[in-house]
Amino acid sequence: MFYVALRILLYDKVRSLITLLGVVFAVGLIFNQLGIFLGLMETSSVIVDHTPGDIWVTSKNSKNFGFSQPFPEYLYDHVASDNDIQWAEKLIVTWAIIKQKEGGTEQVELIGFNPDTRIGGPWEMKKGNLRDLKNGNFAIVDESAMKRLGNISVGEYRDILFRRIQIVGISSGAKSFTTAPLVFMSYKLVQRISDWVGPDNTVFIVAKVKPGANVDHVKERLKGHLKGVDVYSKGDFSFKTRKYWAVETGVGFSFLLTIVISFLVGMLIVGQTIYNSTMEHIKEFGTLKALGATNREIYKIIFSQAMINALAGYIVSLIITTVSVKMYEAGGMVMVVRGWVNLLVLGLTLFMCFASAFVSVRRIKRIDPAILFRG
Amino acid sequence: MADPITISDLTKVYREGQIEVSAVNRLSFSLREGEVVGLFGPSGSGKTTLLSILGCILRATSGSLKLYGNEVSTLPEEKLPAIRKRYISFIFQGFNLFPALTAMENVQLGLKMKGISGADAESRAKEMLAEVGLEQRLRFLPRDLSGGQKQRVAVARALAADSPIILADEPTGNLDHANGRKVMELLKKLAVDKNRCVVVATHDNRIEDIFDRIIYMEDGGIIRERRGST
Repeated sequence: MFYVALRILLYDKVRSLITLLGVVFAVGLIFNQLGIFLGLMETSSVIVDHTPGDIWVTSKNSKNFGFSQPFPEYLYDHVASDNDIQWAEKLIVTWAIIKQKEGGTEQVELIGFNPDTRIGGPWEMKKGNLRDLKNGNFAIVDESAMKRLGNISVGEYRDILFRRIQIVGISSGAKSFTTAPLVFMSYKLVQRISDWVGPDNTVFIVAKVKPGANVDHVKERLKGHLKGVDVYSKGDFSFKTRKYWAVETGVGFSFLLTIVISFLVGMLIVGQTIYNSTMEHIKEFGTLKALGATNREIYKIIFSQAMINALAGYIVSLIITTVSVKMYEAGGMVMVVRGWVNLLVLGLTLFMCFASAFVSVRRIKRIDPAILFRG
Repeated sequence: MADPITISDLTKVYREGQIEVSAVNRLSFSLREGEVVGLFGPSGSGKTTLLSILGCILRATSGSLKLYGNEVSTLPEEKLPAIRKRYISFIFQGFNLFPALTAMENVQLGLKMKGISGADAESRAKEMLAEVGLEQRLRFLPRDLSGGQKQRVAVARALAADSPIILADEPTGNLDHANGRKVMELLKKLAVDKNRCVVVATHDNRIEDIFDRIIYMEDGGIIRERRGST
């Protein structure tokens, strides 16, 4: 039956090509929207996800990683002195203005971390070394910010928060959800130059629990001890950050809407084509029924057509998407296409095509024998 | 052995709004193996409806239809494909061949519907197409065949599966006289050689001499019946 379905599709090349384009368009759009959405979600919590440690202490009611408020630094001692804490580190995340070489300014997200422990710092370096940040006005810029910051290079000086800062390294893979370039400095430097943070405050405390200790128990205990702050597990804080961008800003809804529309468009195109093809061959299908074919045997032809459309459209879309990932990367954006995303989209594509074939199946079920006898 | 087809008091009533129309009205007859029967009558006389009921693709309103002594008029819908698969093949005026499939593949697909596939289907399809004179056209698509050749493919499809009952609706309707006659002679020869029961609904008086028995219908009933000239 698969062979018959394939022959029917190949016979009407123009119609099949239009269907293929329709499926490619719909599936490509689903891939695209899903990939960009996941990319945005990953970048929104990229620092949290790449920072070792099990527990994050944040200001009260922090909505996400980027919008946390400073809180007293002395709370660090409470965390670090807990019996089940192996280590704790302070981290500052704040917004700053960087001066461009040719004048003008750009907003950046400043991350202050301890270069000795590297916790909260960049995880992959293209040029330079994290230790170079110590003992001076130094910064590391992520390579994704190159376009925004005018091809910044190691050794160059820039004004950040009205201080002359030398760029000592280029990191890789650290992109922010807001697309503001990520700039890394030593914790002490950021604390010193940022009036917003102040000399006695920090923005996060990241802690690692001792082996064998239960993260949730430690988290609950710290929650009880520390006043005026929130305590999250790493996973919870990452999820909270992603949820903020996805749900509270409506970004997720707009992506979901596009995915649903793409799905419906694809369903309409495939459904319309398979239905037309079924109607064109209705006498032949009727003849098969007259010869003893059960409805199920004919459904196999219809669903095989749907499956061929789905698989062909999916494969072409996957190829286009793979190329798109590189293009997005070149443009400084992240598009996530992973094995599970591929499987999810394949499932959606098959569902879309099979669901659209149901109209034809209903038509086959109701074939009026009289049509067989019309010349 | 029971006759291939036996009907008694067979009636089909269509309802059009408040009006009831009897397309087939209390028909009774039996058809034997090796018999080629012509159903003649004007449009609306009920011959196509009768053919549909005999082929188990339309249910009678009342009466009995027996195939080889088995009552099939009372069988549930889901049992009918198996009955068609076992006993019946069709030939239609419009050929109803899949345009995307070659002559050979159309016959093979018909065989597949009868539960025959693989090498067996391939050899049977070849053999049958050779019998209808199309051994040189096995790989031709329907669009590359003449009307007569298409109908011969349809005949091959109908006969390949060895169904004991062949039902044909206006098989010469889309053919010129010469081609129509050739197809009917072929059908007759194959039916007689293989001892099939063939029922042909037709308007074509020029092929009356082909039939062993002719039934004339009007308003759903039999108005006359005679033995053919063969």
